[in-house]
Amino acid sequence: MPSSVLSLTNVTKRYGEFTAVNRINLSIPKGSVYGFLGPNGAGKTTTIRMILDIIRPDEGEIEVLGCTSAMQVRSRIGYLPEEKGLYKKMRVWAIISYFATLKGMHRKEAKLRAFELLEQYGLKDFANATVDSLSKGMGQKVQVLSSIAHRPELVILDEPFSGLDPVNQEVLEQLIRDLKNNGQTVIFSTHIMQHAERLCERLLLITQGSKVFDGTVDEARAIIPRRVILECQNDLSALADLEGVLSVCELPVSSEGRIEGTRQWELYVKEQTNPQLILQHCFHNSISLSRFDFTQTSLHDVFVHLVGQEAREHNFR
Amino acid sequence: MRVTLLIAWREYLENVKTKGFWIGVLLVPIVFFIIFHVSSRLATATPTRYYLLVDQSGQYADSVESAILREHQRRVMLDFMRYLQENRSESNSIEISNEPANQMDQLIDDFSNDEVAALDDWLSNGGLAVALQMARPYLRTDAPDFEEPRPQFVAALPPPGLDLNAAPEQIVETLRPFLNGQQRLQAGDNQVSLFALILIPADVDSDIVRPAPVPTGMADDSTPRGLQYWAGNLTDTRLSSAIQTSINNVIRQQEYTELNIDVDAVRDVQRTRLPVSRLDPGKVAGDEQVSLADTFRQWAPMGFVYLIFISLMQSVQYLLSNTIEEKSNRIIEVLLASVTPGELMMGKLLGIGATGITTIVAWLGSFFVFIRLYQTVETAMIVQILDVLLSSDLIPYFVFYYVCCYALYAGIFLAIGSLCNTLKEAQSLMMPLMMVLVVPILTMSFIAQDPNGTMARVMSWIPLFTPFTMMNRAAAQPPMFDMVGTTILLVLSTVAVLWLSGRVFRQGILRTGQPPRILELWRMLRKRTT
Repeated sequence: MPSSVLSLTNVTKRYGEFTAVNRINLSIPKGSVYGFLGPNGAGKTTTIRMILDIIRPDEGEIEVLGCTSAMQVRSRIGYLPEEKGLYKKMRVWAIISYFATLKGMHRKEAKLRAFELLEQYGLKDFANATVDSLSKGMGQKVQVLSSIAHRPELVILDEPFSGLDPVNQEVLEQLIRDLKNNGQTVIFSTHIMQHAERLCERLLLITQGSKVFDGTVDEARAIIPRRVILECQNDLSALADLEGVLSVCELPVSSEGRIEGTRQWELYVKEQTNPQLILQHCFHNSISLSRFDFTQTSLHDVFVHLVGQEAREHNFR
Repeated sequence: MRVTLLIAWREYLENVKTKGFWIGVLLVPIVFFIIFHVSSRLATATPTRYYLLVDQSGQYADSVESAILREHQRRVMLDFMRYLQENRSESNSIEISNEPANQMDQLIDDFSNDEVAALDDWLSNGGLAVALQMARPYLRTDAPDFEEPRPQFVAALPPPGLDLNAAPEQIVETLRPFLNGQQRLQAGDNQVSLFALILIPADVDSDIVRPAPVPTGMADDSTPRGLQYWAGNLTDTRLSSAIQTSINNVIRQQEYTELNIDVDAVRDVQRTRLPVSRLDPGKVAGDEQVSLADTFRQWAPMGFVYLIFISLMQSVQYLLSNTIEEKSNRIIEVLLASVTPGELMMGKLLGIGATGITTIVAWLGSFFVFIRLYQTVETAMIVQILDVLLSSDLIPYFVFYYVCCYALYAGIFLAIGSLCNTLKEAQSLMMPLMMVLVVPILTMSFIAQDPNGTMARVMSWIPLFTPFTMMNRAAAQPPMFDMVGTTILLVLSTVAVLWLSGRVFRQGILRTGQPPRILELWRMLRKRTT
């Protein structure tokens, strides 16, 4: 087990009567890519701010890179906040260099590093442009580069993909992979589950300030049963007796894409159940299927399953 | 400390690298130069004024014309004095000691002591022709020829058809369209505007006012009395004043003659004067005479107070706008992940403070360059005054009070900036503080006149006013108790304000939404951490 770069023990933050973060426990291994998932207002940004010592927890302990305050190891941490902002009148290379020098890098080295990053991520032509002349997406890329210019051991990116077009999202994904390949630890929060699915080894799911899941992506998928959709003219309620099948129910007639005169059935099966068994059972019983739809459980399903109802209630309350 | 300096350097560069900053900095000396240059040249730029003189009494036309001629000669004499100062071979500066070294200095000395007498002498001794002859040995070899200013008041011919013997009311009615600019007079080949009508009625003598125990002959207020001066321009009073003085002189001479009093003897008596020596008991024995330099030194602190005030106003603008920009752009969060709020605050204070000092240095520098390059009588005098000021002990006072004043107010303004998301929000919070800041400026001249009076002493002990008031009192040697006491209080207050501002800054900088109310602000001041 690799050593932990960050650990939170019973961390709690309250604003008056409102508990923003409630007794969060967490340990992030070195060199991993860790996703913070949760609906709006779940407490992700508050947790990140406490990790960075921008705000202090009311209870609990945080240990970052072996220290009790991120301020003690600030030169070893990179941070991209949720709400992006840069000095509008500064040149692109200068702003990357400036934030690197604030993190302890020597001025000359920081300047070289800024140009190196800009070339690596396709912004070399904009090195001397002022920030206010950049598009929002490019500005965001510059800010991401500013957060990693000083080669931090721990990189924390709060909603790094928001506002980026698909091409730049791909660039950012590659950047995160590059960081991981360099042995750097990356924590990022996101609403877009596909990114977490592609990049993260481990996930933290929080809602209303409390942790609801902490583990690998596969562990997350295993939380909810796998779903199979069948379409035929027969009654398939008997499939419920099959081993590994958790439930069988007929979908309403209004279901999309249905062939006229057929019936649609939704089956939930256990994680380890092989869906081929269902197909074989139908074949042996001469059930003619016009549709057999087995989908891998997505992180999106897990997210909706775990936090969907609470998030809806919370957001529209 | 390293990150504090990095932040300070960035803040400094961000401000001083902008065109707006340098436009603002250079605008002050440029405006100063324009005002200085324009005002000194404005007199010569005044257009020629045409007047019409109608003397129905037949007694005063000569004296009016001589008054106008005298007004012109006064301008010739003034211009000649300036020419003399600028083209003297020995030096281009005025000696403040007022010890005449030669005939030219005697002339200048006479002029500065009694302009009326100097003009009399000027005219009786042959005017410009003689003065030029007398001055020639003292002028530089490359001195340009003196250009006599053109007359500013020129007599116009009456319009055709005007009956000069008609009733005054009728003359005025005929000339009213000319006076109102609706019609123009012919003067040679040109059409000119009529500036003024000087109408002296036939019975003007009946309106002469003589001292009497009880006023007699109270006429109807709406009826013009005495000499009638008709002019649409109410601000240029040179012509009316000159005529009034001249006519009164003629009348008084007539009175003297009637009373068998020697007119020349009266004139000599009127020119008799007793010099008043102003002496300062605080100066070294034998050198107690109050010089022009001493007077300027006494008033100089006001200039420093202005300098502190203007620089402070500029600095707080930068502080507020930069802090609010960082807050609204959310840069602040990145910064706070890299530096502590204390380091950020100190960096800002240092950076903006350096910007303020740059402004002052740029102003003073451009001012020095200006007065060295643009040498006139006035600037030569300013050079000497500045030399006096720079050699005085006011500079250390200025440096100390500037630093304290900046730290005190900048801390407060920075805390305000940290609580606001927009400049509009900040303006409402700034208003009470701006009103406080206006007080020392409003009371500045009173304190300069009575630097150790009750008002000055009371205000000195109010920390928000101390830097301004004590700077203003600096030249008046305030009591040691005031000096030491207010300095300790000011330093302690500055430290306390910075400490409390730091608390507000730490909590306010990440705050969103409306600025806090008083009660919430009080809680913020008491709370230790975020």
